[in-house]
Amino acid sequence: MGILIGQSLVNAVLLSGMLALVALGFSIVWGVLKIINLAHGSFIMLGAYVTFTLFSLYHVDPFLTIPVSMLALFLLGYLIQTYIVNWVIRAPLLVTFLLTFGLDIILINLALFVWQGDVRSVSPAYAGTGLTLFRDPVTSQGVQVPYVRLAAFAISLVLAGLLYLFMSYTKLGRAIQATGQDKDAAQLTGVRVAPTYALTFAIGAALAGAAGSLISVMQPFDPNMGGGYRLRAFIIVVLGGLGSIPGVILGSVLFALVDVLVGISPLAPLKDGVAFAMLVLVLIFRPTGIAGKAFY
Amino acid sequence: MSNLKPETPNLQSKKPMPVTRWDRLLGTRRNAVYLGACAVVLVVLLILPHMSLSGFVLTSLTTALLLAVRAQAWNFIGGYTGYAAFGNVAFYGLGAYGTAILMTKLHWPFFLAMLVGGLVATVYAVIVGLPVLRMRGQYFAIATLGVAEATRELVSSPQLSRLTAGPTGINLPFFRPAGLSGAAAAEAGSIFFYYVAMGLVVLVVLATWWLTRSKLGYSLVAIREDEDAAKMLGINTTWAKVAAFALSAFFTGLVGGHYAYWRTFILPEEVFNVRYTLEGILSAVLGGPGTILGPVVGGGIYDAVSTFLTFSKPFGIDLGQFHVTILGVFIVMVIVFLPRGVADFFGRRKLSWGMFLENVRQNRV
Amino acid sequence: MKLHLSALFCLLVVMSLAAGCMAPAPAAAPSKPCTITFGAAVSLTGATAKEGEYVKNGYNMFIEDTNKQGGFKVGKQQCTISVKIYDDESNADTSAKLIEKLVTEDKVNLLLGPYGTGPVFSASAIAEKYDVPMVEPGGAGIKIFTRGFKNVWGTLPAAGTYLKSAVDMILAKDPSAKNVALFIENDSFSQEVADGITPYLKEKGLNLVYSEQYPKGTKDVSSLVTAAKAKNPDFVLGASHLADAELVVKQAKDIGLNAKAWAFSVGPSTPEFGTALGKDSTYILGVTPWTPAMKFQGQDIYGTPLKFSEAFKAKYGYEPSYHSASAVATFIAFQKAIEAAGSVEPKAVREQLGKLDVPTFYGQLKFAPEGIIVKPMGVVQWDTDGKMVSVWPKDIAEKDPLYPAPPWDKR
Repeated sequence: MGILIGQSLVNAVLLSGMLALVALGFSIVWGVLKIINLAHGSFIMLGAYVTFTLFSLYHVDPFLTIPVSMLALFLLGYLIQTYIVNWVIRAPLLVTFLLTFGLDIILINLALFVWQGDVRSVSPAYAGTGLTLFRDPVTSQGVQVPYVRLAAFAISLVLAGLLYLFMSYTKLGRAIQATGQDKDAAQLTGVRVAPTYALTFAIGAALAGAAGSLISVMQPFDPNMGGGYRLRAFIIVVLGGLGSIPGVILGSVLFALVDVLVGISPLAPLKDGVAFAMLVLVLIFRPTGIAGKAFY
Repeated sequence: MSNLKPETPNLQSKKPMPVTRWDRLLGTRRNAVYLGACAVVLVVLLILPHMSLSGFVLTSLTTALLLAVRAQAWNFIGGYTGYAAFGNVAFYGLGAYGTAILMTKLHWPFFLAMLVGGLVATVYAVIVGLPVLRMRGQYFAIATLGVAEATRELVSSPQLSRLTAGPTGINLPFFRPAGLSGAAAAEAGSIFFYYVAMGLVVLVVLATWWLTRSKLGYSLVAIREDEDAAKMLGINTTWAKVAAFALSAFFTGLVGGHYAYWRTFILPEEVFNVRYTLEGILSAVLGGPGTILGPVVGGGIYDAVSTFLTFSKPFGIDLGQFHVTILGVFIVMVIVFLPRGVADFFGRRKLSWGMFLENVRQNRV
Repeated sequence: MKLHLSALFCLLVVMSLAAGCMAPAPAAAPSKPCTITFGAAVSLTGATAKEGEYVKNGYNMFIEDTNKQGGFKVGKQQCTISVKIYDDESNADTSAKLIEKLVTEDKVNLLLGPYGTGPVFSASAIAEKYDVPMVEPGGAGIKIFTRGFKNVWGTLPAAGTYLKSAVDMILAKDPSAKNVALFIENDSFSQEVADGITPYLKEKGLNLVYSEQYPKGTKDVSSLVTAAKAKNPDFVLGASHLADAELVVKQAKDIGLNAKAWAFSVGPSTPEFGTALGKDSTYILGVTPWTPAMKFQGQDIYGTPLKFSEAFKAKYGYEPSYHSASAVATFIAFQKAIEAAGSVEPKAVREQLGKLDVPTFYGQLKFAPEGIIVKPMGVVQWDTDGKMVSVWPKDIAEKDPLYPAPPWDKR
């Protein structure tokens, strides 16, 4: 029983780091551009495929591919925002929703064309190895802390920290915040809205790319992998509150805990249903989320 | 002094209040022309099955008609009320399961089972709608997406499997018309399902038409334009929204029931596939949300494009593998250049290419 | 230019009709050289595109090889065979539409089935509607066959039997194995696998210490793996498809769930499993109806799995999987039935399919009254050289199974 709880807690903590990275990019785009990017899942997927391609063709270590996938997704995000999304940004919600949905379909099917629908996996030699805590001398079982997940957790925290610093202490970051708070006032102070939007979207995509690279090592994936992460990102942002980086982290931790605990209970087949129920409850009783405030 | 009686808006008036340009057209003297044209289309569609078309064509038309119903059903909550629901497939699946369970476990006849299946979806919509409709805009949209996912999980879970057979699905009784066999039976089957689908289309269009002339319809449009003002006017927005949601669920559920009997089986991964919601929304948006016939037309266009992409080989290139990609591009282009759908064409006095650019200019950053 | 809305709608209806009628004119029945046309809707794109490709290649190769030898013998005539294949995009509704087109417009004689549970369900309903026999290579769900249909036969053994052979093998190797953990994917096929194996475990006196369902397409089963770990199973079974089988293995290694044997219903039986998991795939068992190394002897155009495999490799450049073998088996079933009936009349063919009992390169071709093939699944294992070898049943296996599987940290 102790092992069960201990392992579950470890799982939850490590999972939360990774989910935070997934949700971060989604949160920024939503907070600043006020659009829900339904193609976020596809960005994650593309990051995973970048890592896969580099790993299987050139044997580059997956963790070293992270800067590459971040850069690639940054460029892709910038282009998409400038040439497609910017054209409908002031339209009603449904329009932007459907637009990003259409983009999602296009990206998934292009990926299907390039990489086929086969399930892929990135398995470096050290995958699956880890620390064993509280090892029982008799059964030699203990609480496993896989190295890969630990590294992913660490990287997620680092990236979240860097993002926070960027947003709070650099001119560009503050310009992004200003645009999100009041687009017209920001324009009056000299901020150019279109490139700022593009930059924000690009950062969101880059973070998704990093998340994808990390995910590629932890689980098998195919071009349709993004959908589940998109829904989770939404739930986490709502839980933690829009407009707050610490909020996203809190939301991820809470989500991971519930997810893991439900997983070891008889309600396991209804995991997604429980996650959704959580979402509805938060929206009814505390719509601003745990740490929601006006802005970053 | 006698003229100081204030002009109160007479919501009981039988004269339809113009709500969109398209509806205004219907309310004028052009009424007769348009009704006449609609009647012609109706007659054509009614006699179509007897024009010795192959079973394949009949089936394709039936699919198009069902898409039209789904689009029109979405229109109630998405078009008229302005609440973009992304989870209508939950009602589709529930209608299908309701019909299937009633026909297999209780041996009810098809029409009764389909009706009750629709009612099951409606009741579910009311239960789920009360909390979910409190949210607005994007929250509502994703919440309904979550509802669809959760419903699928619930229906296929081990906890409910004694009723629903879990993920392995349900087989419905096969449609065997009495006294016929072989090709005649097959044809009778195709014709039967075609007419039921047609019936559903007529029903849902009539329901939409009734809605535009009813107090509920005005309430919904008011909610769409400015919900807070509507509340201040004394409209019970909660119940109006739930009613729209319930109407939407009812028709979507009926389509689900039709599908279940037509296909003779249901699997949770099929009847709760998000694809059904998306097709419905796209058709409605394409045709013009918030109009009476827009979604039906949109459904026709969408199905035609989809069929074209599946079957034809322009210039010898097999488009099959790009089918979905091209649909994606099609969606993006429609959204950018024609966000108010095809109905946009009909509201304008002068058509020109500049219309597209104007749409873009209105929406760009 | 003001379009009348209704005119537009009429136009669209006509367009849909036109698109549908873009099919070529139905083939006129040739009188002198006789041809039998088969129809098939196969997933060449979409989720099951790979398996669909295997099936298509199987169909095409069989046609080529058979026509070289004169085609099918129908009564006194030798008829060439051909197949018309459409892409159903791995979509059940499209599959149904295409089969309907094949029957009503292309006027094919007989039908071959698609790949995938959903498409097979749909397509078979259409076959039944038009009373045209269909033999399908890609649907193992027993519910496909319990609908009282007369026109459907399948060459994949019933999903419920999949894991039985694996359990038999494990018990033969280690009669003391007692505790079992079972992971079930929330999917029609996987659920049937689980429904079939659970009573069997009880029958054999085994203890199901953990059995849980996970959502289809889930990204994370670490909670389930953790809970199973706490119960200390002797061996682990998975009712799954390829992606989740890989996921369970990966996370089992991560979390430290060890077992003496691992068996999955789908996953280890395909080469991708080994490519994806590398060394981690060693010792893992899978079930399959056929491998190129099984020792079958048949009375058909290929005779043995090896000969079939060589012909396939020569034509397509890679070794065939059981999907292609299953596809060719459907054709052979038709061949034997048509030859026995002396005609391609649906009624006669149906009768002969029901009576079929002939050894082939795919094993014994014999159908149960409901239409599903009666054939035990073979067990394969990934050995230490990174090869997938058949290990059970003993009379057709290449090698002895490796048992027990060492714990993850000791490999």
